[in-house]
Amino acid sequence: MSSDGLDLRIEDLTVVYGGVTALDNVNITVPPGGFVTVLGANGAGKTTLVRSITSLLYLHKGRVRRGDITLGGESILGKKSPDIVKAGVAQVPEGRKLFPNLTVKENLLCGAASRSDVDAIDDSLEQNLELFPQLRPLLNQTAGLLSGGEQQMVAVGRALMSDPALLICDELSLGLAPKIVHRLFELLTEINERRGTSILVIEQNASLALQHAADAYVLELGRVLIEGTADELRGNPMVQELYLGGGGEAHTSYAAIERPSRRPESHGRRPPVSET
Amino acid sequence: MLLAFGNFTADPSVNLQLLIGGLALGAIYAVVALGFVLVYKSTDVLNLAHGEFLMLGAYFALTFLISENLNFFLGVFVLLLVMLVFGLLVHYGIMRRMVGQGFFAIVLITLGIATIIRALLLIFYGPTERARLDLLPQGSFEVGGATVRYVDLIIFGVVAACVLLFFLFFKYTRLGLHMRAVADDIEAAAAMGIDPDKVYAMTWAAAMVMAGVGGLLFGHVTGAIDRSIEAIGLRAFPAAVVGGLTSLGGSIVGGLVVGVIEQFANGHLGTKWREPVAFSVMFVVLLVRPTGLWGRKDLERV
Repeated sequence: MSSDGLDLRIEDLTVVYGGVTALDNVNITVPPGGFVTVLGANGAGKTTLVRSITSLLYLHKGRVRRGDITLGGESILGKKSPDIVKAGVAQVPEGRKLFPNLTVKENLLCGAASRSDVDAIDDSLEQNLELFPQLRPLLNQTAGLLSGGEQQMVAVGRALMSDPALLICDELSLGLAPKIVHRLFELLTEINERRGTSILVIEQNASLALQHAADAYVLELGRVLIEGTADELRGNPMVQELYLGGGGEAHTSYAAIERPSRRPESHGRRPPVSET
Repeated sequence: MLLAFGNFTADPSVNLQLLIGGLALGAIYAVVALGFVLVYKSTDVLNLAHGEFLMLGAYFALTFLISENLNFFLGVFVLLLVMLVFGLLVHYGIMRRMVGQGFFAIVLITLGIATIIRALLLIFYGPTERARLDLLPQGSFEVGGATVRYVDLIIFGVVAACVLLFFLFFKYTRLGLHMRAVADDIEAAAAMGIDPDKVYAMTWAAAMVMAGVGGLLFGHVTGAIDRSIEAIGLRAFPAAVVGGLTSLGGSIVGGLVVGVIEQFANGHLGTKWREPVAFSVMFVVLLVRPTGLWGRKDLERV
């Protein structure tokens, strides 16, 4: 079973690509067992944040210029990505990034690359199939041929195969039907509560993320613009203006809705969420 | 071998002979193309040094099997082991530093590796050509008026066994799975805790071992072992491209197809037509299907 959530601290982080600063002095904390969301528009630095935590900046010629990232009190800066997965950080990458030519089962097994106990890997696979029963008949299908929703389930399942203490989801909602996104967020809440896995959700869909997360940050042009509890952010006029109201993802009613309990039995009462 | 010049003939035994010769040549192309495709697919590197890798294999075969006169199987084992070490050397010494660099910078680095290998072979083995290898059973038998050489048959069998081994490795082992994952999406693979560095190292090692097998086999059918045999890399290039640079299965079929076409061009049109015809096939395939017959991804992945 899952290890306890780990405490992730991002301290004064500045990341550059060549001469371009993508993150500027960013401070974000995910407490053990916490559910944190980072909101922001395109280009705000959200994906750079994920790459920094998971040590994938080098693939994009980015580097950390200043600051530190610690996991459970230990710095993970400079560690290689396999070691970071081993330390307990798993991610659902933006755009899912499944291995399109591999089968669903092979995709899931790749998620367990950091583990070697075959029985434990089998257990995780079985847990995943209980979480996503739709995937069971698709196990031998080529992943690239699945629907978007199914692919996202595989992506989440694949990340869970490493039995993570911290699960990072980058743009989970991108390009998916509202109903599916809603269901995925419910599952995240369930994983967070039942397994104690810390969750960090990077999102453009602010309304949904704020419903499920406990703490939230708004990133803009590489800086943390606003931070607080999800409740505070929902009540913040600037957040309402920029992320909850007005635009295409208008959910003006959310300010009036009481923050739903994160217990599973309340899920049925969620208001429907629409998304473009 | 029966290779007529410029005389078109419908004689079935002549055509059968050309087919057999073509398949044997094609099997060698296939083994070269396989190593080529393996590297391209897994690491995104267009390795222009693969012909030199094979040349290295042929020269090492000379050293271990002829000069040192080791027992055949022990000699082959040592040969492949040394090739494996050289593969790791290529990765850890050079290619590893190039990860994330531009496509063409890396291609030029492989050209540099090719030059280094040629220079080293010249230094250590000298410019004189050596007789080809003769460790496999000589002799032949007749089928339907055509001569089948044991050497060709063995080459075909060894290549088939290599292909089968590759298939099983990729399908059923953990490392094979991780290699396919890296080939599909290196960033996602790294994000899952797969170490691309390790996978790349294994890829170069496997390509070098394949080149060792190729060099050993090619050393038996080439005119002589000298520094001109690196041209096999260029000659197998149409095979890899026809099959699709990203398809291991395609490289096998591509190798056989190009080998047979070359042999028929050689037999019916004359030797000078062999390579023009092979490259024409490559051009036509590229015009109709830019990713090759079985290639999946776009070739322009810079």
